[in-house]
Amino acid sequence: MSYPVTTAPNVSVQMVGLSHNTSAPVAVRERIAFTAPGAMEAAARFLAGRRAETGAEFVLLSTCNRTELYLSDAGGEWDTEAVTSLLFALHEVATDAPAHETARLAGAYLQERRGHRAVEQLFRIAAGLDSMILGETDITRQIKDAYALAVDAGTTGAVLNTVFHESLRVGKRARTETDLGRGAFSVGHAAADLAQSIHGSLKNKTVLVLGAGAMSETTARHLSAAGASTILVANRTYDKAVLLAESLNGRAINYEHFPAQLALADVVVASTASPIPVVTRAMVASVVKERGNRPLYLIDIALPRDIETGVGDLDGVYLFDLDHLQQMVESEAAERRQKAAHAETIVREEAISCAMRLRTMQVAAPLVTRVRARQTAIVQQELSALRKRGDFSPEQWQLIERFATAVENKLAHAPTERIKEYATFADEDLTRRKLRTVRELFDLEDAEETVAAEAKP
Amino acid sequence: MNSAITLAVTALCYLIAAVLLGANLTLRKNGWLWAGRGVAALGATAHMVAIGLRCAELRQAPFTTPAESLSLLAWIVALAYLGVEICWRLSATGTFALGAAFLLITLGGLLPAQGRVSDPALLGENAVSLHILATVGAIAAFVLAFACAALYLAAHRILKSKHGLTWIKRLPPLATVEQASFALVAVGFPLLTLGIASGWLRAMAGNGLPDGWQWDSKTLLSYGVWLVYAVYLWARLRAGWTPARTAYILLFGLAVCLLTLLVPSAAHRFS
Repeated sequence: MSYPVTTAPNVSVQMVGLSHNTSAPVAVRERIAFTAPGAMEAAARFLAGRRAETGAEFVLLSTCNRTELYLSDAGGEWDTEAVTSLLFALHEVATDAPAHETARLAGAYLQERRGHRAVEQLFRIAAGLDSMILGETDITRQIKDAYALAVDAGTTGAVLNTVFHESLRVGKRARTETDLGRGAFSVGHAAADLAQSIHGSLKNKTVLVLGAGAMSETTARHLSAAGASTILVANRTYDKAVLLAESLNGRAINYEHFPAQLALADVVVASTASPIPVVTRAMVASVVKERGNRPLYLIDIALPRDIETGVGDLDGVYLFDLDHLQQMVESEAAERRQKAAHAETIVREEAISCAMRLRTMQVAAPLVTRVRARQTAIVQQELSALRKRGDFSPEQWQLIERFATAVENKLAHAPTERIKEYATFADEDLTRRKLRTVRELFDLEDAEETVAAEAKP
Repeated sequence: MNSAITLAVTALCYLIAAVLLGANLTLRKNGWLWAGRGVAALGATAHMVAIGLRCAELRQAPFTTPAESLSLLAWIVALAYLGVEICWRLSATGTFALGAAFLLITLGGLLPAQGRVSDPALLGENAVSLHILATVGAIAAFVLAFACAALYLAAHRILKSKHGLTWIKRLPPLATVEQASFALVAVGFPLLTLGIASGWLRAMAGNGLPDGWQWDSKTLLSYGVWLVYAVYLWARLRAGWTPARTAYILLFGLAVCLLTLLVPSAAHRFS
């Protein structure tokens, strides 16, 4: 007899929340985010109280682009209103914003996922598939932090522990197998990647930053993170150069002295507010010979541009402007989009596999335990009767016991496997009927916990 | 197991390693990279065994025929690649170097097995051994320098033209390949000088060399090779040529090297 394909068994995992993918505008996302100092901790304390009352498990995940509440209740699924009310109440406790106000603001953007779809949603997030910048890796840390906070507050149990541990593993697998996490995610990132393509390791390399604006800072931070050891900052306002240099562990230099540093620098980041180019072809040409075989990499991220275009024609000099870097970011994003289809398949398969394990854990395990207990009791009863009837030596008795245990294990194997299989049927009714038959066959009383577990999707 | 079978296994290893490293260059799969490195190391080890077996079979140094000399060159090229891999992690050079090693062994297999030098006294001379080993070592270094120069020019063109920028990450860093090519020539050039000098001294001593060995095509071309790499060193160290220009010298240098290696010669009976 063939049974329904066990593609997506129901598990008691739910998610409610909103993100940039639910069309929630940034004004809504920032209002509902738990980003205020202490907000996540307050929410965790509140959830710990709800766990004590209901026995349900909770994890709150809140980043700049999403706020999602994951829950699992062995006692049965929560209806949509109950879950959303909890999220709004949680927000009120953590941020003092009235729940009805949050509901009015965010209600239209909420999405709900249940069962393996909720598991899949978390796996997608962990793999960076749900991120605004496809494949970005920062989300892994954010999931770890959210989960650690939940564990510390005692709001997790066997189900969400499994789901969150699995999400980190699946995220890593999807990234490793598809290279989804590779490539430049921003202009600054692309600039730093190119620096490494030209110079290799940036250790012992000097970066000269012209301008102390946000773009200069972001790019310089990427170069610093890539290993650049010396960072020099030149700005028309010397004090701003000092501030930026301090934040980058670098050194401020007088703006008038920057041309002399071109002979020493390996990477130059130009992003000043000057209306005319500040780095001229003549300026760079005068240092090319002095530099010998050391390539000079110039990054012009200013608008209007800071470096004369003719500089890029000089030997040993590589000039990149904002368009070039943006082009690189877009090409790599296109590559990642191609890889995302493969990552989606991995995530979908893993979500179903995880749902099956959870279903086995929630439904099959209690019944298997009872079947085994029943069989063990019968075996022990018969052994006891046998011992009373015969006079066995210790060796003989040891042999009999070993034989009895072997028979018990062999007899239990097939029913155990069948119960696990029945538990993962997508058709709930069929699962219920099959497990009832098992109980009848093994003459098991309908213990409350088993029935409850089977009744729940 | 005889040396011929071991050499065939070696050639296969080099080919597989070259393909794996080439695939890693385009697809960036770490598994293929490590497999390529492993198979290359296995090939070099098998090659050492093949050369050892050949020595045992001949009871002579393993360069009595052109095929044996090419096999020796292939082994040194493979070792040079492994050295470059260890020093600079330049796996991309392996595609070319191990591909070249495979071709050298195959070419040796296709050559007629004639012209064997069976004079143990001649091959036992230190000057001859030094001449052959130094020259082969120099050519191996120049093969790797060629691969580095080609990679340099590929990266240089992408960075200058801004076309195919996503490919730049597949190539090794520009500065690293430039340093590696210089280091390889810095090793290869003295070896070549030693090879030419030892050959010249041996020829001056006479003993069986034909008249007019000074005008032998291989001898003359080897001076040309020496001159090309001398120009490279001068251009890089003294004249301040840019790396892109000096890279072209390395491409030209290997072409002259190959011509020297393949040109028929009356004075060179070993290869």
